[in-house]
Amino acid sequence: MASVLKKQTFSKEQRQKRNYLIHWLYIRKEYDECLELIDDTLKKVDQLAEYPLFIKGLITRHQGKIHESLSLFQQAGQINPRNVETIKQISRSLFLLGRHKAASEVLDEAIRLGFTEDWEIWHNKGMCLSQLKRLEDAKDALMRANSIQRHDCTFIQLGQILTQEEKYQEAIDVYLEALEFSPENPELLTTVGLLYLRTGENFRAFDFLGNSLTHDPRNSKTILAAGSIIQDHSDMDVALVKYRVAAVQTPNSAQLWNNIGMCFFGKQRHVAAIACLKKALYLDPFEWIISYNLGLVHLHTEQYASAFHYFSSSINLKPDFPSSYMQLAIALSRLDDYDNACAAYEKAIEMDSDFLFHLNYAVMLVNNGQVDKAREQFDQFEALYAEADEETKNSDKDVGVMRSLLMNVLGRN
Amino acid sequence: MAARGRLDTAARQFAGDAKTATLSDKWHADSNPFQGLVDPVHLALSRLRRRNYDKCIDVATELLGRHGVDQQVWWIKCRALTNKNGIVDTEFDEEGLAELLLDENATAQVPRPGTSLSRPQSSTVSGPSPAVRPMTNNGRPLSGFSRPGSGLTKPGTGMSLERAMTSSRVGTAMTRPVTTSGRFVRLGTASLQSEPGGAFVNLEKLNMQKYAERPSLAKALCDYMLSVEHNPRKAVELGAAATSAVNFADWWWKMKLGRGYYQLGLLREAELQYLSSLKLQEMVCTYLQLANVYLRLDQPRNALDVYKQSPEVALRYYRRLLQMGVSSSALWNNLGLCCFYAGLYDMSLTCFEQALISAEDDTLGDIWYNISHIAIGIGDLGLAYQTLKVAVAADPNHAEATNNLAILELRKGNVELARSGFKEAGKQGPHAFEPPFNSALLAYKLGDAQESFQLVQQALLCYPDHVESKELLEQLKQKFN
Repeated sequence: MASVLKKQTFSKEQRQKRNYLIHWLYIRKEYDECLELIDDTLKKVDQLAEYPLFIKGLITRHQGKIHESLSLFQQAGQINPRNVETIKQISRSLFLLGRHKAASEVLDEAIRLGFTEDWEIWHNKGMCLSQLKRLEDAKDALMRANSIQRHDCTFIQLGQILTQEEKYQEAIDVYLEALEFSPENPELLTTVGLLYLRTGENFRAFDFLGNSLTHDPRNSKTILAAGSIIQDHSDMDVALVKYRVAAVQTPNSAQLWNNIGMCFFGKQRHVAAIACLKKALYLDPFEWIISYNLGLVHLHTEQYASAFHYFSSSINLKPDFPSSYMQLAIALSRLDDYDNACAAYEKAIEMDSDFLFHLNYAVMLVNNGQVDKAREQFDQFEALYAEADEETKNSDKDVGVMRSLLMNVLGRN
Repeated sequence: MAARGRLDTAARQFAGDAKTATLSDKWHADSNPFQGLVDPVHLALSRLRRRNYDKCIDVATELLGRHGVDQQVWWIKCRALTNKNGIVDTEFDEEGLAELLLDENATAQVPRPGTSLSRPQSSTVSGPSPAVRPMTNNGRPLSGFSRPGSGLTKPGTGMSLERAMTSSRVGTAMTRPVTTSGRFVRLGTASLQSEPGGAFVNLEKLNMQKYAERPSLAKALCDYMLSVEHNPRKAVELGAAATSAVNFADWWWKMKLGRGYYQLGLLREAELQYLSSLKLQEMVCTYLQLANVYLRLDQPRNALDVYKQSPEVALRYYRRLLQMGVSSSALWNNLGLCCFYAGLYDMSLTCFEQALISAEDDTLGDIWYNISHIAIGIGDLGLAYQTLKVAVAADPNHAEATNNLAILELRKGNVELARSGFKEAGKQGPHAFEPPFNSALLAYKLGDAQESFQLVQQALLCYPDHVESKELLEQLKQKFN
């Protein structure tokens, strides 16, 4: 009991005496030594020293012990409740533990205390709100953070929310603004490239992806995106060279093997294509596009039964892709299943208006002697074909050939 | 599924030696029950060659009852008994619980990475990547067969012992015997019990020196001791006498001595005998047994070297498989998978039907799991879900099935069910990296960084080169700063 009686009080200097050393060890990342020193210091001053507790919280969080870090930050917060740094860390630990609401409330508290001009608080608040699915509020908070001080991470977060809402153009604008601010960030460049790819502007996408590759030539995601654009322009060998770099980084990526398989398909090497696609399917059996591609390759090698199987599994996995139905119909018509092929064409046409659907349908109808119905489909094809732009018209010469053939057969000159 | 075959290699090599034994000329025609038939000794020998062991033993016993010191008949009966009860012991090799606990040969409690079999997935061991080559329940690359010995995990991890104690199926092939020698003693008494009239030879009363001078009899006797009576001590005694009688110039004796020492647990002595036997004559089975010694000593590198030296081991195995006319569920299962990957869906389903018919409890789960893959392959997720449920019901510890079930739940949008499924799968199969990684990814997306961090580290422990896990860890670390 004696120790209780003569309870020692420590002066401010005593508590802060070693802070410089702790700071020094922390920024040199000598975490073990730093923790030892902190424990020693805390023992000497009855666990009542703000800075050591704070640093200990940072280190334990870095080691992955978030619960422990939270309680340390809370201890530090009790010593000095008005320290905004501690409040920010408490909210961050809560955020990492998945307690987004509590984290957000802690930040509100900080704002109430008068720390309104701190970008980090608004940024973190935006993160919490976006996790809580309050996207509009989240956007406001993030924009406020940006108005105080601009940071890459805020831009990226904002862009992600906009992408989630499928507002691609707005997302691109946000990223472009971020790029003005830090033009050499490969992550930003890749994201912009991918967004352009999604909106269909392949040339601009390729610009950004290429730019990103000059800064970070080994990023497999960027390589995959760039490779797919190169592939679209039928430059298979160049794409394969790119993929070779990526294959070293991610040898078990189903997407990569899928693209490699389609490269071989483009080079008319069907066996290699099927091997690659099957490997991709083995790695990710849930990916519908691999099944779809396998179906395509089998269709070309005239193995219609296999093609049918792959198209049907692709449709089972993703029922809302209209082209699958058209390909399925082609496979079925080759297998002489006229009725089901018709049903498949009808389904495809019902889902989307693409002149190819009508053209193929018309061809099949003609082959089965249904000239009247074929005329109907051909007229619809003509209507849609007239609307299409020159680039789409020129991309596939077979369409033109088929069109003139049908014209002769159906007497529509 | 223990590969159970007869020890016929040795039999073939020494069948010729029987000619040196004395011919039975003291047959009394009046009391001969085989009168008018072929010479009964010839009959016994012929039955031995045709592997009609039971009938062969009947004739030989009858003959020995009439004339107890006929060496030729004695040799025939000895071989017949050995071949009848013998097990291919190069594969039938289990480490008992007692050996696990009281391991005198371990050099270190925690072996250096890459030097031990206790952590087969460590990165220094070059092998097929876990993403491509699936693993069995015990974390061994899947070969289609599980033999008793291959289910064995080595000491040094602590976990292996725990798992051995809590094995889910008590009394089946996957449980561990208490001691190895105990199991052999049990096998020995079982084989004696089945013979009318008890033991064929009274090993305790044998004059080893006398037998050692007659190599053909001694070899038959030695095999009998090892594989019928399971008395390695006596076998070593006989072997030691015999090998010195032939001036240490016979590889066969050295190999058998090694076998005896190995069964007694004297691994270093066994190693010496095997090595010296190999110097005289290179034999596949000696190589296999030597590798077994290294496995038991937990020296995978040496074992691998041995396997590399011995040519065409696998070829022999396949030939043996064909000779035995195997028609097991595993074979049908593999055929079914081959058909599936070749696109022959109808054939594949028939194969799996066959596999299910002949399946035993321990393989049923795997077969249903494979059927679920076919269901996914043809895009029928409803069927996949059902087959996976059956797989889990058949084998409650099927980690892969639980994992895939959770993935299907996730696709349906049942996040909580998926989460608990991944967790359960992680507990069932500590060897697989998929469940902890999936769990980690889900936790990360739900915003629980703490859990994600722990799980991703677990995944990396199983598969240190997993790119996606590494990326996730990197992202988490960035968040922590």
